[in-house]
Amino acid sequence: MIGYNRLRRFAPLGVAAVLALALAACAQSYPNSTFTPHSDLGRSIDFLWNRLMFFGTIVFVLVEGALIYVVIRYRRKSEDVTPPQTHGHVILEITWTLIPAAILAFIAVPTVRTIFETQAPAPANSLVINVYGHQWWWEFEYPEYKFTTANEIYIPKGRTVDLVLHAKDVIHSFWVPQLAGKRDAIPNHTNHIWFTPDSNMATTVWNGFCTEYCGDSHGEMHFRVVTVTPEQFASWVTRQQAPGFFGPPAAPPPTAIASASAAGAATTKSDSAAPAAASTAAPAAAPVAPVYGPTASPALLASYVLPHSEVPEYAIPHTPLPDAIKFDDKLTGDPAAGEKLFVGAGTCNACHSVSGNPLAVGTIGPNLTHVGSRITIAAGMYLNDKAHLSRWIKDARIMKSGVLMPTLGKGQYDPQTKATMPAGLSDQQIADLVAYLQALK
Amino acid sequence: MATSVIETIPAHLKPFVPSPIPTTVQTYGTSIWGWITTTDHKKIGALYLFTALFFFLVGGIEAEIIRAQLGGPNRHLVSAETYNQIFTMHGTTMIFLAIMPLSAAFFNFIIPLQIGARDVAFPRLNAFSYWIYLLGGLFISIPILFGHGPNAGWFGYAPLTTKAYSPGINIDFWVVGLQILGISSLAAGFNFITTIINLRAPGMSLMRMPVFTWMAFIVQFMIVLAFPVVTIALFFLLLDRFFGTQFYEVASGGDPLLWQHLFWIFGHPEVYILVLPAFGLVSEVLPTFSKKPLFGYPVMIYSGILIGFLGFGVWAHHMFAVGMGPIADSVFGVTTMLIAIPTGVKIFNWIGTIAQGQFKATSASLFAIGLVSLFTIGGISGVMHSSPPADLQQTDSYFVVAHFHYVLFGGSIMGIFAGIYFYFPKMFGRMMDEKLGKTHFWLTFIAMNLTFFPMHFSGMLGMPRRIYTYDAGQGWEAFNQTSTWGAYLLFVASLFFMYNFFKSLRSGRPAGPNPWGAGTLEWTIPSPPPPYNFAVLPNVTSRYPLWEGKQADIESARINQQSGRSAEELGIVLPYNTIKPFLAAFFLVLMFSGLIVGHWLIFASAAAMVLAFYGWLTSPLEPEHH
Amino acid sequence: MSTATVSHHYSSTGLANRKIAIWAFIGSECMLFVSLISTYLIYKDRSVVGPYPHTPWTDPSTGHVYHAILNIPVTSASTFILLMSSLAMVLALSAVENKGKPQRNLGERILGNSKLWLFMTALLGLGFLGCQAYEFTSFVNEGLTIKTNLFGSTFFTLTGFHGAHVTAGVIWILSMLFIDMKRGLGPSDALNVDIMALYWHFVDVVWVAIFTLVYLIR
Repeated sequence: MIGYNRLRRFAPLGVAAVLALALAACAQSYPNSTFTPHSDLGRSIDFLWNRLMFFGTIVFVLVEGALIYVVIRYRRKSEDVTPPQTHGHVILEITWTLIPAAILAFIAVPTVRTIFETQAPAPANSLVINVYGHQWWWEFEYPEYKFTTANEIYIPKGRTVDLVLHAKDVIHSFWVPQLAGKRDAIPNHTNHIWFTPDSNMATTVWNGFCTEYCGDSHGEMHFRVVTVTPEQFASWVTRQQAPGFFGPPAAPPPTAIASASAAGAATTKSDSAAPAAASTAAPAAAPVAPVYGPTASPALLASYVLPHSEVPEYAIPHTPLPDAIKFDDKLTGDPAAGEKLFVGAGTCNACHSVSGNPLAVGTIGPNLTHVGSRITIAAGMYLNDKAHLSRWIKDARIMKSGVLMPTLGKGQYDPQTKATMPAGLSDQQIADLVAYLQALK
Repeated sequence: MATSVIETIPAHLKPFVPSPIPTTVQTYGTSIWGWITTTDHKKIGALYLFTALFFFLVGGIEAEIIRAQLGGPNRHLVSAETYNQIFTMHGTTMIFLAIMPLSAAFFNFIIPLQIGARDVAFPRLNAFSYWIYLLGGLFISIPILFGHGPNAGWFGYAPLTTKAYSPGINIDFWVVGLQILGISSLAAGFNFITTIINLRAPGMSLMRMPVFTWMAFIVQFMIVLAFPVVTIALFFLLLDRFFGTQFYEVASGGDPLLWQHLFWIFGHPEVYILVLPAFGLVSEVLPTFSKKPLFGYPVMIYSGILIGFLGFGVWAHHMFAVGMGPIADSVFGVTTMLIAIPTGVKIFNWIGTIAQGQFKATSASLFAIGLVSLFTIGGISGVMHSSPPADLQQTDSYFVVAHFHYVLFGGSIMGIFAGIYFYFPKMFGRMMDEKLGKTHFWLTFIAMNLTFFPMHFSGMLGMPRRIYTYDAGQGWEAFNQTSTWGAYLLFVASLFFMYNFFKSLRSGRPAGPNPWGAGTLEWTIPSPPPPYNFAVLPNVTSRYPLWEGKQADIESARINQQSGRSAEELGIVLPYNTIKPFLAAFFLVLMFSGLIVGHWLIFASAAAMVLAFYGWLTSPLEPEHH
Repeated sequence: MSTATVSHHYSSTGLANRKIAIWAFIGSECMLFVSLISTYLIYKDRSVVGPYPHTPWTDPSTGHVYHAILNIPVTSASTFILLMSSLAMVLALSAVENKGKPQRNLGERILGNSKLWLFMTALLGLGFLGCQAYEFTSFVNEGLTIKTNLFGSTFFTLTGFHGAHVTAGVIWILSMLFIDMKRGLGPSDALNVDIMALYWHFVDVVWVAIFTLVYLIR
């Protein structure tokens, strides 16, 4: 028969496809896998998953096996045979109603138990973090330590963290696949998700995502979760609590890490970028004199931030720079001039805060107090380096669809208003702002 | 005989002599006016089929763009804004403009034939439903060509859809368009409920009704009870957007979950509205090609009814991440698990139908097997979501995308293709090419799995759904690449189908009344059926009159299979053709578009619509009976 | 209305198609009103600003005191009017069904006058709509519009939706009255009047639910 010949012909193809898939699967690492949980909640879910997978596989094999068996066993060999005209079999039908019901009981019982365990109120000594979803970035507030940051959180290993989820505009959803399941952040609602990161894992970075469609740049609403030791966490907290200060010169810029993975032409680019970055950092490298706020004590300067060199490859964004924005990367900026621009011609303070600067108290955009120490900008979309930051300031609306951040560069095209900015910042002014923001460690 | 698909009537049905296969095939006519004014359920069914296949192609092209964009990391073939419009319209098109109307094509064409009726209960209302669907479909589809396509996802969660966060006209088209399409489904629902209750031929008791008609019957009840809820949800949104009410205004205390609950009270029954007709089609195809009645007919019916009931009690399993609390999560989790039982029973009974039968692989039966095997996978992943804690890792990831494509492609589309290959001869009087059909099946089956199976992995490896691009190094590249190549192959498979469809329409082999040796009433009449369907109303004494029928069945089948007699000769009264349903539909859609164009248009077209309805209601349906 | 003819088509139940369809339609309408009423109840007491249905509210910015909005006595009267219209509809249907039977006295002549009862039904329906128009106007004058708060949005949408159904019903009844005056309605038209009556009674029953849940229960 035609069908079976065809089946035989295609069968090796199918097997080959599955094998190819399996091979492809082994050849890569999976930084966002839900199969390798690193918290108690993650493991509770994984336990249920394994059980579901176990029964699912049995059902799959039995049903598909039975189907293939009957199709082959009872295939038509002659047109003249009339099979017995049976209409059903009561005992058989009752059996295959009861067996799935029994299997479902084995799933339902642990499910309900897990629901009540994981949705109980968080333990009393939990680290509370207020999470606010915005289009398209995340605001994080540590009420216990009284500071606010954006798009990047540090959590101590071994201590339960209770994330309290809110939304400022539309519905978002908070997901760190390796640590926990999702929980929606909904306007006019307060949601919780809590878990205890394993104390025996490495100090590292996890990727987080918004998983409820929330408009234009939903695909670029990421964040990073850094799991650190309790000591590192305490040290990091002292830094975050301090007002904005200029930190020590930049470590080898993470551009080097990023470009290492980029191919070919990128080498020449990083060659020219590296000296530029070094000279940018130079003014801040001089005896550290904070421009405002309390003197940055040596202890504060030495306080913990995950060094860029320890950021794993998967947490470094590779989003390419849009060609449409031209910027002279050789320009060197002055942080002090940048600070004046921040609250002056740049009008950055209308939306952004820098703690310690009484003029910079905007709350529409991310808090920038220690922005220089973050791994990414634009909610995980771009690497936090000079090349990306300068273009972001120049024309954020080309860099990321739909953002509130205005187009600031003089003569730049604003895709939202479909107009060219008559006034705005010069490239030198932008370089100054970049120098200022990068110095805010 | 072994290579031929033309079969004789089963041997045990001795007294019945099938009429010879005619050499010429009747057509429905090519006059455009004839199509616009038709009230014949068969022509309307064909219109539904052609239109829905067109929209299926549109939705498919949208899918190809999505897959091209996601074929590799950081691709920008289309911008984020465009991508969002495309995925929104892909979902909206496939659900409301392709799968539902493809089912409606079968409802229209098959239900009256299966129950032994000469038309549906309200032929003009039927035409009205179709025109609303066509015009509403164009209304919601055209804006994307101008860059203003709806862009909030097919379930358009508030408050993203409110004026504050979607100030453009994109969402206006979506909310008004869905409102229009709802009217079409509701009108068809009332029509088919009445048809099935009231127009069954003598002896066609409910428990003798073919399973397809039964599933269609259940679906109509679900449509009639579920669509009003989304109508209200959309009406609130419409008032919010056009008249400044506060239903979804967060600042006024509005609750974003109101939309979600109302939408999913409709949305989950909608899933069964999409898949039960396919179940029905497969329940006709498998017995025919196994030469054996459906295994456990009553249980198939009861499980369908149970699915329909439970379908209204599980909506919140779409909302396990919203924080409903442990009690609601538990209740909805367990009810969702329960729905797996009747669904499983259906799958086992299909296998039981083939067992001990004489299974013949044809395009139709292969697609039916495709449904059973692929829907099983969708069912298993469905049970995985039913456990709320586990669902917290799965929901809104590509795992869910994989799941519902196994349900809607592996279930609905496979079943609908089985139905098209099975009923094409009945609809158009010609056979489709089996060789091309089987190629289409194998390519579709392989490509479908290649496209959607890797999505299980990309989802569980952390890829959220509805992202317009993703970064390199996240471990998703290989899976997405495979999905994209699968999607391209799926498109190639569809080309085989399109070629086969149009070639067979023109020059397929004449089919005769019963090319497959099937047992139900629709196969007792010529292909395509004459305008009046049945020269004499059949007297039904069994579920498969052509297989198990008594003398009465065979007598009426003998008369009904003869072709070439006109309604006049037989003294059968048929409804007039009329333009009024089209006009009423046209002005109704124009009236709704007035919300966007300008309020003057609302009043002008409302007046015209009232006139059209007045003309409709005051003119007789059919000539006076003599 | 299409001129009624005795159906010559076969039917499985012996009922007319339209009779079955109207029941399906009413089932669908139930879900429509259930959604509207549920939304009203869910949003009850969630308005962040007044005025409120059952309690007074002082506007903090102006100091203006809004008293409780709902006017129970007027609505009780309009509810009574609507229920009476249902009674009139029953009499209209019975008059149409019994057309042609001998009318022996004044009472039977009055009861058998379908025009009178159709007119009464429409009149009472219009009376209800008049009360609703008065109610809406006075609410707007007191400072509650469909845009004011959640209460305003849900209240006006729910009652307005019902009012639209009553309006459609009144137009239906008046069309029937027009036919009656033109050529007279007889037992062969009973099906059409029956369907109209079913719709009308449904709209009344919905109002009883709305009146109880929105007006009476605090």
